[in-house]
Amino acid sequence: MAQQIKTHHFPNGLTLTVETMPHLRSASWTLLIPAGSATDPSGRSGAAQVLNGMIYRGAGDRDARALSDAVDDLGVQRGGGVDREYMTLSGALLADDLPAALALYADIVQRPQLPVDELDAERALAVQAVQSLQDRPAQRLFQELNRIYFPGNFGRPTLGEIDELGALTPGDLQADHQARFCSDGAILAVAGGVEFEAVKATVEQLFGNWAGKGPSTPAVKLRDEPLYHHLPQDTAQTQIGVAYAGFPLGDPEYYMARLALNVLSGGMGARLFTEVREKRGLVYSVGASPRVLKGVGMVLGYAGTQPERAQETVDVLLGELRRIKAGVSADELERARTGLLAALVMAGEATGSRAGSMAADIFLLGRPRTLDEIRDAVEGVTLAALNEHVSTHAPTNFTVLTLGPAPVEIHSI
Amino acid sequence: MRYDQATLPNGLQIIGEHNPDAQSVALGFFARTGSRDETPEISGVSHFLEHMMFKGTERRSPEDVNREFDEMGANYNAFTSEENTVYFGAVLPKFQGQLVDLLADMMRPTLRTSDFDTEKKVILEEIAMYKDRPQSVLFDVARETYHHGHPLGNSVLGSTESITALERDRMLEYFERRYAPNNLLLVLTGNYDWTGAVAQATAASATWQPADAPRALSAPEPYAYERMVADPKRDRVYIALVAPAPAAQTAERFAAEVLAAAVGGGEGSRLYWALVHGGLADSVGLWYDSSDGAGAFYTYASCSPERVQEVLQIIRATLETAQRDGLSEDELARARRKIASGLMLGAETPMGRLTAVGFDWVYRKAVMPLNEVADHYLAVTPTEVAKLLQTQPFATLTVVVLGPLAEATPGL
Repeated sequence: MAQQIKTHHFPNGLTLTVETMPHLRSASWTLLIPAGSATDPSGRSGAAQVLNGMIYRGAGDRDARALSDAVDDLGVQRGGGVDREYMTLSGALLADDLPAALALYADIVQRPQLPVDELDAERALAVQAVQSLQDRPAQRLFQELNRIYFPGNFGRPTLGEIDELGALTPGDLQADHQARFCSDGAILAVAGGVEFEAVKATVEQLFGNWAGKGPSTPAVKLRDEPLYHHLPQDTAQTQIGVAYAGFPLGDPEYYMARLALNVLSGGMGARLFTEVREKRGLVYSVGASPRVLKGVGMVLGYAGTQPERAQETVDVLLGELRRIKAGVSADELERARTGLLAALVMAGEATGSRAGSMAADIFLLGRPRTLDEIRDAVEGVTLAALNEHVSTHAPTNFTVLTLGPAPVEIHSI
Repeated sequence: MRYDQATLPNGLQIIGEHNPDAQSVALGFFARTGSRDETPEISGVSHFLEHMMFKGTERRSPEDVNREFDEMGANYNAFTSEENTVYFGAVLPKFQGQLVDLLADMMRPTLRTSDFDTEKKVILEEIAMYKDRPQSVLFDVARETYHHGHPLGNSVLGSTESITALERDRMLEYFERRYAPNNLLLVLTGNYDWTGAVAQATAASATWQPADAPRALSAPEPYAYERMVADPKRDRVYIALVAPAPAAQTAERFAAEVLAAAVGGGEGSRLYWALVHGGLADSVGLWYDSSDGAGAFYTYASCSPERVQEVLQIIRATLETAQRDGLSEDELARARRKIASGLMLGAETPMGRLTAVGFDWVYRKAVMPLNEVADHYLAVTPTEVAKLLQTQPFATLTVVVLGPLAEATPGL
């Protein structure tokens, strides 16, 4: 059955997209505000993180507890958070309760109380989140890898910096809310047992008077020079992270790059898992996954292993990434294709995954992709085209970061 | 929804929850075995064996197993707990036959020594990985301390020493006892073909021999004990409290779940307001863990080292107040609502239903339709919760604190 997706652009710049999934009684939404941590003012890294906590501390005429209770009364499974490019407010619930939940979130977005006397508590939570990273080596690895892979403000940690969190004032917070929470460019994606017209009427009523245009996110730049860096930490496993350039959504090479990455890291039969784990027993966890940002695509690779095996692991990992240049077999392409298409269908069964994907598509591409469109593109990739792609666009210029007791030697990246 | 059930002559049970609207089929073999069924000499064997089950059969090499999963585009994995080991996958309906064939064949692995030796290294890496995760270390210690000798406190992963010393033949011996067809369950959810699955499972398991697979089912004795794990490498302090709770087979499990959600089920719960809202702790939660013949409430918090006494005191006070005064109808209503909506959302996909349907059968030999489960939660009354609290679950607490603290920190 064809998907039922409808999109509407409100005059104030808010885009609404709804996928009706008729046999479901549940629904999910993602509200995307295109002003993430990359737009944190200079010297105020972590501002989006603190703001994201503060908006839930009372909104409209409800204080923090009344607001929380009202959300829970509707059985909302809460989600959302801060990314570099945007903030999201998301939730899932029984479809009948969606209008009531959106009314609460309209208050959270447009009329948060931002109580000054709770700023210290929210800041304390943000500081603790930064401190917790010391006890989460894999998360710390990726924060620091992002910092060196995205030069400038874009690479600042989403969680913020402890000293800059300390400098935030209540005035900053008010101004920051005004600047970021604007209708222009905001995206609301809804999926589940709901009807487009009904959702549109609700949204019009709740968000129709919302206004403003937010800060523009700096264009994303990736480091184009190879780099190796080591962060010393007394851990049981050495954490290995690799970043390299990929392709953005909308690029003619996008689906080929996606398939090539599935050949490397699609399932347990893919190359990285086979060579690093199955044949050599070097790791429990190894893989590479795509990240798509506005106008830019990239790949993040990961392996964790005990220090005495870190050298061999990094050698095999980088060797496999490079080896893709030599080409993939017809069987490998078919497995990669089948894996992508099956994952697509199965993700299409869940409302949360659909709402999140549609919001991201609109942000990156200006419109939601249908499953049919993706299927056609993936099915259209021939072996010859894929092999042409990997020979021309093989992974190169790696940014490698290790975290652990000792560095490794990187011979050529 | 339609419910199916069959028992084969060799004792293998098959159950299904059929959903004609689903786009996929999820299925899995549930082995009623885990670390509680191990002796100290073979600690970690259930989990290591779970890895070895992917390492090939008479008909398939290890590469064949992984490749075939990928050829179906399967979303697949396996997990091992204290008392269950589950192998599962989700595929488009046209691949059901291939997936049943593969998973059923995997239930009779060859356990080749060369694969065993390579996979041992992977297990040792997994153990090292969890050593870098303070919450994992904390809960291993908390489980072990609370159960003080009861097998439910056994570590799932085992230790570097027990895994290093483990021999292939001891694993084979364990496998033969625990993977008898009468100790296995095949579960299907989503848009499956029942007749085809039963016929295939019957053929695949024709030579499997039933065997005795007993389990000691005594309940652990509640245990009040406080333990400090000084770990100067950590930045934060991690706190676990364990208290007795109803077993998986009891009718009180619904009230236990609602109680846990109201007191500590994330944002909006009592512990959240007491600790996280004010920024005293960055994370807190209370959940109900139900097992075969036993159950426990687990509380978790993380905070800065200088706050640990205060945070622990507030957790204790919150639990004591709930136990003494009970919970309000409003609080319970919100908790019930959250649980019920969570159930509905989990049921959107066949994979989301698989373990719930499987464990329903494992523990209670019945599959309760989703709407009935939701109704049970929505019907939990303050009186039922009060009755549960009358058993004084929080009067006997095991407390474990891990972090950069001195062994003799006052007030702990």
